[in-house]
Amino acid sequence: RSDDDDDDDRGKKMPVRVVESNAAPQVSGNDPGNRSPLPPSSLLAAGQAFSGTQNVSNQQKEEAWRVNVQIQGVDLEHGYLCGTMEALNVPMADTPVITFWEGEIVDGKNYTFYTGKWEATREDDMRHWSKFPSFAPLQGQVESDGGRQLDLSNYPYIFMRWKEQYFVNVGTDCGLTIAGFYYVCFSCSDGSISGFYYDPNSSPFQKLELKTVNEGKSGFSFSSYELQ
Amino acid sequence: MPTSSSSSSSFSSAASSSGNRQADVFSRLASSDPEVKLKALREVKNQIIGNRTKKLSFLKLGAVPAIASALSDSECNSILVQSAAALGSFACGFEAGVQAVLDAGVFPLLLRLLTSSDEKVVDAGARSLRMIFQSNQAPKYDFLQEKNMKFLFSLLNSENENVSGLGASIIAHACGTTVQQQVLCDAGVLEKLVILLDGSLSQREACLESLATVLKNNPEAVSRFVGLEAGRYLSSVTELTKDRYPRTRLLSCLCLVVIYNTSPSYFLNMGTKSSLVTTLLELLNDHGQSGDDAALGLSSLIAEKEDLQKLAYEANAIKNIVDILKTGSELHPKRLQGLFLSLAELCSKLEDCRCSFLSLEMLDLLVNALRHKNADVRTAACICFRNAARSVKNLSAGRFTNDHVMLPLVQLLHDPSSSVEVAVLGALSNIVLDFSSPKSTFIEYGGIKQLIELSKSMDPNARCSALRALRNLMFLADNKRKELFYSEVKAQGFVSLISDPEPTVQEQALALLRNLVDGCINSIEFVFDEDGLILDTVGKQLRKSPQAHMAIQGMYVLTNVASGTELHKEAVMQQLFPQPQAESNNFMLKFLQSHESQLRSATVWTIINLISPSSPGAHDRHVKLRDEGIIPQLKNMVNDACLDVKIRIRTVLSQSMSFGDN
Repeated sequence: RSDDDDDDDRGKKMPVRVVESNAAPQVSGNDPGNRSPLPPSSLLAAGQAFSGTQNVSNQQKEEAWRVNVQIQGVDLEHGYLCGTMEALNVPMADTPVITFWEGEIVDGKNYTFYTGKWEATREDDMRHWSKFPSFAPLQGQVESDGGRQLDLSNYPYIFMRWKEQYFVNVGTDCGLTIAGFYYVCFSCSDGSISGFYYDPNSSPFQKLELKTVNEGKSGFSFSSYELQ
Repeated sequence: MPTSSSSSSSFSSAASSSGNRQADVFSRLASSDPEVKLKALREVKNQIIGNRTKKLSFLKLGAVPAIASALSDSECNSILVQSAAALGSFACGFEAGVQAVLDAGVFPLLLRLLTSSDEKVVDAGARSLRMIFQSNQAPKYDFLQEKNMKFLFSLLNSENENVSGLGASIIAHACGTTVQQQVLCDAGVLEKLVILLDGSLSQREACLESLATVLKNNPEAVSRFVGLEAGRYLSSVTELTKDRYPRTRLLSCLCLVVIYNTSPSYFLNMGTKSSLVTTLLELLNDHGQSGDDAALGLSSLIAEKEDLQKLAYEANAIKNIVDILKTGSELHPKRLQGLFLSLAELCSKLEDCRCSFLSLEMLDLLVNALRHKNADVRTAACICFRNAARSVKNLSAGRFTNDHVMLPLVQLLHDPSSSVEVAVLGALSNIVLDFSSPKSTFIEYGGIKQLIELSKSMDPNARCSALRALRNLMFLADNKRKELFYSEVKAQGFVSLISDPEPTVQEQALALLRNLVDGCINSIEFVFDEDGLILDTVGKQLRKSPQAHMAIQGMYVLTNVASGTELHKEAVMQQLFPQPQAESNNFMLKFLQSHESQLRSATVWTIINLISPSSPGAHDRHVKLRDEGIIPQLKNMVNDACLDVKIRIRTVLSQSMSFGDN
């Protein structure tokens, strides 16, 4: 989400991050009809919690909200996940603002790098994905044929789009907008998440940065459910 | 089944006079004068046709044995015809009538009529026998006996359409096993049946019904049928789905559904699939039995098949079915069952369908169906709830948790029908997933106690389902909610759950435990109650070479415990490497070499937590793990086929290196 009234670009410089030197992974036997879903990743699972910030800075002010994200459901077969996002210390709200979001996983089977909706053009897509260092090895292929031949099932990063669907605990008149969506990159190894909010009517490249949360424990803990 | 119309009112108002008339008819039935007898038979027949109330009242007066006597004693063809017709009418769509007719020994009498030289007599006999064979009470026809097979084929070969139709009916209602199907096919029944496809309406319909029975779940039979004249008859059946008679359309659809479910490869054409779906959808609007059967047929067709569910969804199936349900008219239980099952199948895999369904304000209707007097309808409604509740989005929004919905569901836990109990447990185990919402109506209705009760059921499926529901209820639960569970189940009680004889029950019990010890660090204390009884039991179960699914949950319990304090981590080490070690019973090594990637992954997570750098004893635990061969095993697995496992192993090994390992 972002502030309604911002419209200035304040381009932020990305910190350089070390990326594994994988060559762009290829599918063998490139039959697009028979693609498999991505394999499970322990930290991108229902019950996992993440915490960090969303920067909502613009030319007038530097501002960042604390954000907590919880994943509630993951359906790899359909490239779908969902959860809640909670924003704290939002100036125009008295309480934390919670939204429910749904995500699309770029797996080459259900979804590709091209959004194809939400007023995001291919150029917008490429502009955002290329802000993730881990996208660099894939960029050439995605630009040339949409990434049809990429085998993402062995790539230690998962790319997604997250779209907030509704406010859970406040009204739509709270002064916040959920009209846009996030381009998201998840690191399988440490569960860190970064994202960029895209909304033609908001300040561009508002950055989301999250890390896994361990509730003050010395290690990782996992809950699970099973739907019949 | 046609039900009685308004004649019941005239019956009650003229009770005494009609009662007299009935008694009068009886004496005339027994008359030795054939003319009188004939007239009486006709009277009875005309009164009972399509009139269930009359059938019942004549039945009670003993009409059936009286008419059976007429049938056996007479040689007059007209009397044979009329008595056969009357008996057939008693049996038509009226189970008590079928019972009475069979009890009166009518069956062999009717069979005898088939060999008459008078065509009308043969007809009457065949028609009545067909009525009997519509019922499950019809004698089980033993196809395996040579003379029976001969007789059957003589029927199929007959020029008389009622007789050949009878042959087909016998097959349709008596053929149940693969052996029977095989015997029939080997004797050439398919070749005989398909001839009927080109016959009269009645023959066509009988043929379609019997084909479905012979082909059901039998790929060889299907292959044989399709091979007949290079697929000509498959095409004929497909064509018949567009026939002008609804019953023919229905029966041909049901036949195709059977073929599709048995051998889907004959249906690669999207057009045929699509047309099958839309034809069944149209037939749902038929008010008669065809509509009832179409509903069940549709649910059978789309079951487990995401592509067909999608087709149906795109053809507006959900809205159409909901509209039918909302018409408010009293629908036959079979139809209700079929409609709810179809909705359930539509919601089974596709989130769009679930959201669409739930947006149509259907919950009231579903709740009403939970109270229907027919158990099959209640079961179907529960299954519908269960599948709709697979929508995490709607669960998260609390769609199912208001009193209006929850209370009737909880009440069904005590339903007299076991199929309803099973179905409602399935629905509840999904619906209780509320992501730790502060208020839970299920809990308010005493749900936890009921589930704990059910976890001790004699039926392992009930135990498994109840524990799964508890597991889901405890997903991300706060301490308050966990306390409600602990107040009912102490350590010893929990140990019984983990030690259940059924592996699936053990698995759910361990998954529940996993959720109980997740959360804040104090949650872990539960496994230490009563001297660490639960933790010891977990260790014991893991040492017993368990099935992978159970082991996965067990390892996640250890992982979660190992995310706690030094004491917790040491306790886990005790379970992994008990002193003294009985041989090399190192289950960790076994699990690391499992074919199940999730088990390898869970095991590595335990290790990650044990050597987590933030804890003082990490180094010593690392030494122990190395000495027990665990770290070396991980070194062999750096290129594990599963990405997740590989990533976790690299985490361990990089931590290992930082301990100054060689």
